[in-house]
Amino acid sequence: MRLGIVRGHLTLTPAVESYRGRTLVVVEPVTMENLRAKNGKGGGKALIAIDELGAAEGQMVAFTEGREASNPFWPTPVPVDAYCSLIVDSIDVRQ
Amino acid sequence: MFLARIEGTVVATVKHPTLDGCRFLVAQRLEADGSAAAEPIAVVDWLGAARGATVMVSTDGDIAREKLGNNTPARMVVVGIVDSAQSPAGGIA
Repeated sequence: MRLGIVRGHLTLTPAVESYRGRTLVVVEPVTMENLRAKNGKGGGKALIAIDELGAAEGQMVAFTEGREASNPFWPTPVPVDAYCSLIVDSIDVRQ
Repeated sequence: MFLARIEGTVVATVKHPTLDGCRFLVAQRLEADGSAAAEPIAVVDWLGAARGATVMVSTDGDIAREKLGNNTPARMVVVGIVDSAQSPAGGIA
C-alpha cells in the first residue's frame, strides 16, 4: 500500500455502471521527507481512489494499487486502480 | 520481490475488515546501491520485522489473499527479513 493525504471528493455524472454510487477521493501521495516532517504536505502525483471507509479531507490513508485494488469487490468485476485500505490514526517514523 | 528498510509503524483502526489485527509497517524500497526511494510504502508484516531492519517484500498478493481471504486489498507483504546481503560493491544492507 502507498500512503497519501485525501485532498477532495468527487461526484461523477454520468459514470460507467461500476462507479455509480461509489465515493471517490483525490489522494496526494506523501514523500518520506514530508512524512518525517509531519508538515501535512504530500509531494506525490495525485490520483483517484475508491474510498469505502469515509476518509475526510486532510486525513492520511493507505491505498492499494493494481489488481488487488479490485479484490474487495470480488467476485464482481470493478475497474478499480486504487482502493483506500485504511485510514491512518498515527504514524511514527525514525528521524 | 524487492528489498526495503523498515522506518516505522502505522496505527489504523478504521480499515478494511480483512485487515483487522494486521501489523502495518512504514518502509522505503532500497535500490541496488542501497539508496532509499523517495516515497514510503505501508506493508503488512507477520514476521515481526524491527525498525531499521532490511526486509524482502512481495507484491504478488497471493500470500495476502491466502492468509486474509479473497477480498483483502492487502498486496505488499513482508516475506522475509534479510540477515546478510553479499554485495562486494558494498551496496545493500
